[in-house]
Amino acid sequence: MITIALDAMGGDHGLEATVSAAARLSLDRRVGVLLVGDAPAIGQSLRRHRYDASYVSVHHAADVVGMAEKPREALDAHPEASILVAARLVAEGHADALVSAGNTGASVLACARHFKKIPGVPRTALAAVVPTEQRRGELDDPFSLLLDVGATLGADADALVAFAHMGAAYSARISRNPRPRVALLSNGAEPYKGTAAIVEAHQRLLNDPHLDFIGNVEGVDLPRGTADVVVTDGFTGNVVLKMIEGISETVMDLARFAYRSKLAWRAGLFMLGGGIKQLKQITDWQQYGGAPILGFDRPFIKAHGRSGPRALGNAVKVAAKAVRSDLCAEIARTLAEARP
Amino acid sequence: MSTPPHVYRWDLDKTYLQTDFDSLGGLLRTAMQRAADKTNVPGSAELLRSLRADASGRVLIYFVSGSPRQMRTVLAEKLRLDGIHFDGFILKDNLNNILRGRFRAIKEQVGYKLPALLEARASAPVEAEETLFGDDAERDAFVYSLYADLLAGRLPLTVLDQVLDIANVYPDGRAAIHDALARLTPADAVRRIIIHLDRRSPPVHFESYGPRVAAVYNYFQAALVLFQDGRLRARAVGRIATALVERHDYSLPMLLRSFQDTLRRGLVDYEAARALGEQVAESGVSPSVLGLFAREAEEMNMAPPPRRPGFVPDYPALLHREIQRHHIEKARRKGIRRWL
Repeated sequence: MITIALDAMGGDHGLEATVSAAARLSLDRRVGVLLVGDAPAIGQSLRRHRYDASYVSVHHAADVVGMAEKPREALDAHPEASILVAARLVAEGHADALVSAGNTGASVLACARHFKKIPGVPRTALAAVVPTEQRRGELDDPFSLLLDVGATLGADADALVAFAHMGAAYSARISRNPRPRVALLSNGAEPYKGTAAIVEAHQRLLNDPHLDFIGNVEGVDLPRGTADVVVTDGFTGNVVLKMIEGISETVMDLARFAYRSKLAWRAGLFMLGGGIKQLKQITDWQQYGGAPILGFDRPFIKAHGRSGPRALGNAVKVAAKAVRSDLCAEIARTLAEARP
Repeated sequence: MSTPPHVYRWDLDKTYLQTDFDSLGGLLRTAMQRAADKTNVPGSAELLRSLRADASGRVLIYFVSGSPRQMRTVLAEKLRLDGIHFDGFILKDNLNNILRGRFRAIKEQVGYKLPALLEARASAPVEAEETLFGDDAERDAFVYSLYADLLAGRLPLTVLDQVLDIANVYPDGRAAIHDALARLTPADAVRRIIIHLDRRSPPVHFESYGPRVAAVYNYFQAALVLFQDGRLRARAVGRIATALVERHDYSLPMLLRSFQDTLRRGLVDYEAARALGEQVAESGVSPSVLGLFAREAEEMNMAPPPRRPGFVPDYPALLHREIQRHHIEKARRKGIRRWL
């Protein structure tokens, strides 16, 4: 049975959300969850939930890294922090993958301290799913993969090429898309457009027989779903991702405002109800679980800081899927094949 | 003078047998099922056999079930097939209840199980101690605890009358309870109440009944509690664990998590866990498996939740809560969200 280590102390909602997620998952009887954090507090919380004891365990970690703390300083100051202990437990084989909704920088750094980078990975990448108009893969997924969205700020050509291979491997295994279309995010479709790193990466990817590289795409192509995997540096990716989240929330806020403002608008919204519901489902980040950090030899899913039990539960399911589909081995294989 | 026997009283449905009486279809299926088609709760038959085989003194096994008397033949045959030798069998006279128009009595627990337990006790020696087995689908924890405290003479009859009022027990049922009680010599006989969490109810719910009630998720946990109570030997615990793995799809990690859960909830203390390790080692269990259990015990060596000896629950308040819990559970099972 697959066991996923869940940083019980991470995230805006803290222990109540993580324990609730673990308890709910245990009732599905598919995945074991190892809750890492303040064991007495976790025990106190767990006894108030419906759960199955055969699928939940607890490992004590005395410390916590706060959401606002500086990653390196925080990990140095709290060697028994839940995220560090959880990463160590995964590295030692007590769990198969890691999920955390805590401080992103500290989580990535904790993984870097305990996991190994896959050979050929210059930098790890945080990948996020972006809702799209087009669907893809055997599972008919309505989203494409955008990476990096903030594991590191910059990325040279080597890193962008590695991101392309890692994203393609993820799409192949998780979305069951055997030949995903890969693109670079730039300010124009022409090969000479973009930063020096993008132009160089473009040339290298064009000559790569292992990928279905479709060239550069612009921001407007993201929601259209022109590509299945969109590669960019962490700074740009993070800005794009947050903007998409902001637009989605604003559209929903506007709909709520319209519903309250006029009877005619309310009636209109009522008639559009089915469509709005579908749109809400597609853009609902909670159903996608979390963003995988690609490039380590163990799967790590970074859940949104705001994650509640449902989103955390989905993040654990994504982590289990990554383990089941042997994602890390697939990335290693893809990168080994791509090496000159 | 010979040692008095130890009495085990078992409920059948959802405690010993996996029964679906939550739907009409399930109820009909249960009624029509042949003995050979009935399924045990994993580990229940192994535990029951071990309770008799492992006992140092005489053991009496009785079944008190809400199943109709018409099922006696098939249930007795099922127990025979499982190799269970029993000393008594009490089933509900539901046909009589229907013919007399006593429809409330068909589902009512207090008015049936309490007099049944009290009357059955009359045939046991005064010094005989008891261990009771039930589940969380009905009000077993409530009825068993009430029986234990009435038998011990710890509960004023005025409180009993309050409880019977709340439970809306028929007048002849009330009379039977008072008569049976008057005939019994007070004895603090009930040492342990094991509640099988068939519906995965939150364990906190059973803490209100005091440390005598041990709510367990599986019969490996029950075996651990009974080992601590001196009712089972270590080799029997090993036998039940092996049966769960070999016949009921359990795995070593699942048993480890269950073991940790009993420690975390204070059902088993560290000393008992250590003693179990020492004794199982002598029976030739793999040292690597023992090492895993020992590590769990070491890691969970923390102060268990405080125990309250001699604690008498507030039965009228608990029954009100039980009734409310029953309604909530019913609504939950029907998928209806309600604010109660």
